[in-house]
Amino acid sequence: MLQETCAAQIEAILARYDHPRSAVLPLLYLAQDTYGYLTNEAILEVANLLNLPQTDVFEVVSFYTLFYDYPVGKWVLQVCDDVPCCYLGAEEVLAALAQKLGVREDQLTPDGHFLVQRVKCLAACHRAPVVQANLDYIYDVTPERVDELLRSLRERIGSGEVLSVSGATAEDYEYAPAGHVRMIERRLGDIPAPPAHAANAAPVADEPASQVETDVETDRTNGVDHAAGTSG
Amino acid sequence: MVLTEHIIQRELDVPNIANFDVYLAHHGYEALRIALSQYQPADLVKMVKDAGLRGRGGAGFPTGVKWGFLPAGVYPRYLLCNCDESEPGTFNNHQIIDLNPHQLIEGIIISSYAIEANKAYIYARGEFGAAARTMEHAIAQAYAAGFLGKNILGSGFDLDMYVHRGAGAYICGEETALMDSLEGKIGQPRLKPPFPAVAGLYGKPTIINNVETLANVPPIVRKGVDWYRSHGTEKSPGTKVFSLCGHVRKPGNYELPFGVSLLDLIYDPAYGDGMIADRAVKIVVPGGASAPWLTGDQLNIPLDYESLASAGSMLGSGGVIVLNDTVSAPHVAYKMDEFFKHESCGKCTPCREGTHWLVRVLHRMNHGHAETDDIPVLHDIYRQMEGNCFCLLGESAVMPIKSALKLFPEEFEGLTHMKG
Ligand SMILES: Cc1cc2nc3c(=O)[nH]c(=O)nc-3n(C[C@H](O)[C@H](O)[C@H](O)COP(=O)(O)O)c2cc1C
Ligand code: SF4
Ligand code: FES
Repeated sequence: MLQETCAAQIEAILARYDHPRSAVLPLLYLAQDTYGYLTNEAILEVANLLNLPQTDVFEVVSFYTLFYDYPVGKWVLQVCDDVPCCYLGAEEVLAALAQKLGVREDQLTPDGHFLVQRVKCLAACHRAPVVQANLDYIYDVTPERVDELLRSLRERIGSGEVLSVSGATAEDYEYAPAGHVRMIERRLGDIPAPPAHAANAAPVADEPASQVETDVETDRTNGVDHAAGTSG
Repeated sequence: MVLTEHIIQRELDVPNIANFDVYLAHHGYEALRIALSQYQPADLVKMVKDAGLRGRGGAGFPTGVKWGFLPAGVYPRYLLCNCDESEPGTFNNHQIIDLNPHQLIEGIIISSYAIEANKAYIYARGEFGAAARTMEHAIAQAYAAGFLGKNILGSGFDLDMYVHRGAGAYICGEETALMDSLEGKIGQPRLKPPFPAVAGLYGKPTIINNVETLANVPPIVRKGVDWYRSHGTEKSPGTKVFSLCGHVRKPGNYELPFGVSLLDLIYDPAYGDGMIADRAVKIVVPGGASAPWLTGDQLNIPLDYESLASAGSMLGSGGVIVLNDTVSAPHVAYKMDEFFKHESCGKCTPCREGTHWLVRVLHRMNHGHAETDDIPVLHDIYRQMEGNCFCLLGESAVMPIKSALKLFPEEFEGLTHMKG
């Protein structure tokens, strides 16, 4: 139960808002990372946490495309097929991904590692074609670079890194001149020690949920077509 | 045309200004000190009005005027930063956060003081996972330095700031849908009036501004109205960060004074550097996918709100999509209307049904199955949508198909004759 496993995070999320209902989206993200996707039970848990009618929360889940009420595996690969990406190689990237992974779009790979979806503009059109892997940006992807992308993502599964389909650990990536995928460094510097007089505690940033690696049923559901979210 | 000094893209003048210490060493948070120690909130509203700052989120509405709509004496008030950035072809907010995040945070703090809000939310599109973490880090730095929290810099002003991520829905960039979404509901636009300044988030007075709009506030406060107005045009003062993409050699974000020509943006070696393989410009969509199209013979148009409006288009989000003569106009219209269909929130019939039918007809035309009367059918569909949609998303969906039919009718005729 989220209430037990993520009590501190839930409290921090609720503290941000004057009305608890505003916590629906962040709590759904938390539930999604905890259980791998939004099962009926997970959605009911969020409804109960906020004392909301179940239908209100189910409605929210089906409205937003980044909530998955179907198994999505470890990496959700979202390829932008909008204008201009679609004229700069996105269709070829989609075809290469489907071919290398041996699946159709919206179909989970048999090992439960990858799900490929089409999405709309990702606000990085100058680095087309753009792909997101669990909301990590991967810039300047080409069909030739798809192998290296899949290699780096498989390596990250193997490394035991905590993966979050909701983007709680999101970073941005690009291809280095040598051809490998590398993280783009965030260069903000450290958080300074607060001045002595200040009693201000900075709000806590979302931590990735602790049980992202939970063995969801995804691994056994290959071959099922999952309709991508509809509205929104 | 190169700016001697950037107002927003300061990373081009000061390397690594994303770093907190570097920002502080280059006048960072100086404007906040000035604002809190030398001005009353109302003075700042007037200053932003006098500077002529216009909202960069699409409509170009004067920011100070909007701030002035708040009803006197009603609290609490909220400031919302619109960071939903989902208009195809638009990617400047994203880069401002990556490369100069503290200028945005400082702008939100000053603006919150000006409108007397004690809570500010940055509503980021769900896909901005890394950008949200960047902002949270920058916010934590600002708290630690005493620029956020209680009694900021001893002024008595309190402000808390939070990042709230959406979850994949373009419509949540529309200001009232954003508020519903932030309230934990599905994102559908509200009936206006009341306007957000009167009844916004939780029914309270709320000001909502775009990322780039708010990032303009610290330089205005620090360097003054006259300095700000020395950039751009009389009616569109300042600069705009144009997002240039498509078949140009150097796509990217370019900060230029309002009034620069499309020709310069596309061909100047410092900006777009011309078309890939020197092909001809066929279609320019100058303000994100919602803007009516221009063609290759209209490149002398100055990029400001008034000039684009008189050319029958709009500056919109400042996302400039340039496509060459390899694309087919019916296909571009199909892809763009597919976007609007995907993003239609479903609240009103003309948009929900209209986008569905536009895409259905355009799909069959583009796949060799056009029916003989498809062209009149397309005209009929968009005419039924025009002026009848609940919000601008549906009205925007009319632009690609209407533009394509008007500018390239022969290409549609070709498709109906190809039927086989
Ligand atoms: C469908 C739709 C999507 C919009 N998306 C955005 C957006 O992503 N970012 C934004 O700043 N404004 C967006 N707007 C405009 C907002 O409604 C609002 O006008 C703007 O945030 C006001 O800020 P400004 O005055 O600083 O421009 C959108 C409007 C519509 C109708
Ligand atoms: S015009 Fe479209 S997006 Fe706007 S309210 Fe109607 S259905 Fe929703
Ligand atoms: S069209 Fe692909 S990121 Fe904008």
